[in-house]
Amino acid sequence: MKFTLMWESLPTLLSGAVLTVQLVALALVIGFGLAVVIALARLGSNPLISGAARFYIFVFRGTPLLLQIFLIYYGLAQFEWVRESIFWLVLKEAYWAAIIALALNTAAYTAELMRGGISGVPKGQVEAALACGMGRITRYRRIILPTAFRQILPAYGNEIILMVKASSLASTITLMEITGIAERIIARTFSPLEVFAVAGAIYLAINFAVTLGVEGLERRYNKGLRLASAAR
Amino acid sequence: MTGGETETATPTLSVQGIEKKFGELQVLRGVSLDAHDGNVISMIGASGSGKSTFLRCINLLEIPDAGRLFLAGEEILLKPGRGGKMAPADRKQVDRIRARLGMVFQSFNLWSHMTILENIIEAPVHVLGQSKEEARATAYDLLAKVGIDDKADAYPASLSGGQQQRVAIARALAMTPDVLLFDEPTSALDPELVGEVLKVIRSLADEGRTMIIVTHEMKFARDVSDRVLFLHEGSIEEQGTPAEVFDTPQSPRCRQFLARG
Repeated sequence: MKFTLMWESLPTLLSGAVLTVQLVALALVIGFGLAVVIALARLGSNPLISGAARFYIFVFRGTPLLLQIFLIYYGLAQFEWVRESIFWLVLKEAYWAAIIALALNTAAYTAELMRGGISGVPKGQVEAALACGMGRITRYRRIILPTAFRQILPAYGNEIILMVKASSLASTITLMEITGIAERIIARTFSPLEVFAVAGAIYLAINFAVTLGVEGLERRYNKGLRLASAAR
Repeated sequence: MTGGETETATPTLSVQGIEKKFGELQVLRGVSLDAHDGNVISMIGASGSGKSTFLRCINLLEIPDAGRLFLAGEEILLKPGRGGKMAPADRKQVDRIRARLGMVFQSFNLWSHMTILENIIEAPVHVLGQSKEEARATAYDLLAKVGIDDKADAYPASLSGGQQQRVAIARALAMTPDVLLFDEPTSALDPELVGEVLKVIRSLADEGRTMIIVTHEMKFARDVSDRVLFLHEGSIEEQGTPAEVFDTPQSPRCRQFLARG
């Protein structure tokens, strides 16, 4: 083991962690918004819209993320109309292609979580919202979605951890996040063990922080729900 | 509809000829009720007689198949919807009407992700558009009135059933409703907790609030009501003052039901 190399590569790898966190954070924000829309579409009564949502989930859960990244970054470039559209300004950037692929992917998984969460909101609590005159939007915004999100929070923590690890695939389209930088250092030093070990430790540290963060959120927001399940 | 209106004041709530079917089962066969300001009307009857369904038709948690609903003279408009079932003609009107009808459920249905205080100010703030300060001030008064002022920051699940139901009553009162609807408010409670909830409801009756109460508590219905309705298989079988219904019931079914009770 070359401990000096490990020590020396740490700052460079840490600089890649900034990009990793950026990719994951942006993908999670975009993906979560999308997931809520897809979950609502899936639960809606219009068979066409719920069918489309089902198909979306089927495709993005059923194909490898690596393929999705390649299709978005390399595949879309083949269409001239894509290259001529304003979307190209975003899609030609590996950075945004990675974020979009990660976001679309996590949206599919999170939509299924949200669907379960929304269906699990006690019927009586929805009726109480109806009975005091809440319209559909207020009902979802104030009662249904907050309760659903609290219910899926532990499972969503899992999804965040999976996303942190999945972001390493962004290195395949030239992005210099943790894994990309690790590979570059290894190409120079021929020391895969040492460098990947340090990279792995950084991923662990990030996910440790994620775990603590999600547990903190659970403590803070799930008090009522936790009590409710303990009382049952 | 017959002609002879305006002989008395417009009822606060008027329900006419409500019919409701669940699949093949006819649950309500034309039930009508007029409640004037300050009336306390109890509905009694066996399980499955349709009394809860009737109450839920009043604020359209169930949509009746036929019949008309008026709140302070304003008709709640229904129209034929998909599959021959009725549907609200104007959802905004339904929301507006529901905000004026307070409902207290058998299983409390407090919002579990909110504290007691948040539960009470939720609808005043997000439906009526009150400021948080205003809603909070009212909420503390109401909590004091139902005797739970020390639990404002607790979550519903940490309260006893009786306390939760009293909070649910405070939540309904916070909307200053025209009519309060109680759907078997003590049926989910342990026997020793029934009294504290009935006491609160009784005090509301004494204040002259307009209330419709579906209940199995016969003694309470007798004490608190102006009028008692006995429902049997979706029809009103007997109605009158508590004395008439409880002491000299005309219908054999009502007699039988009261004897069992």
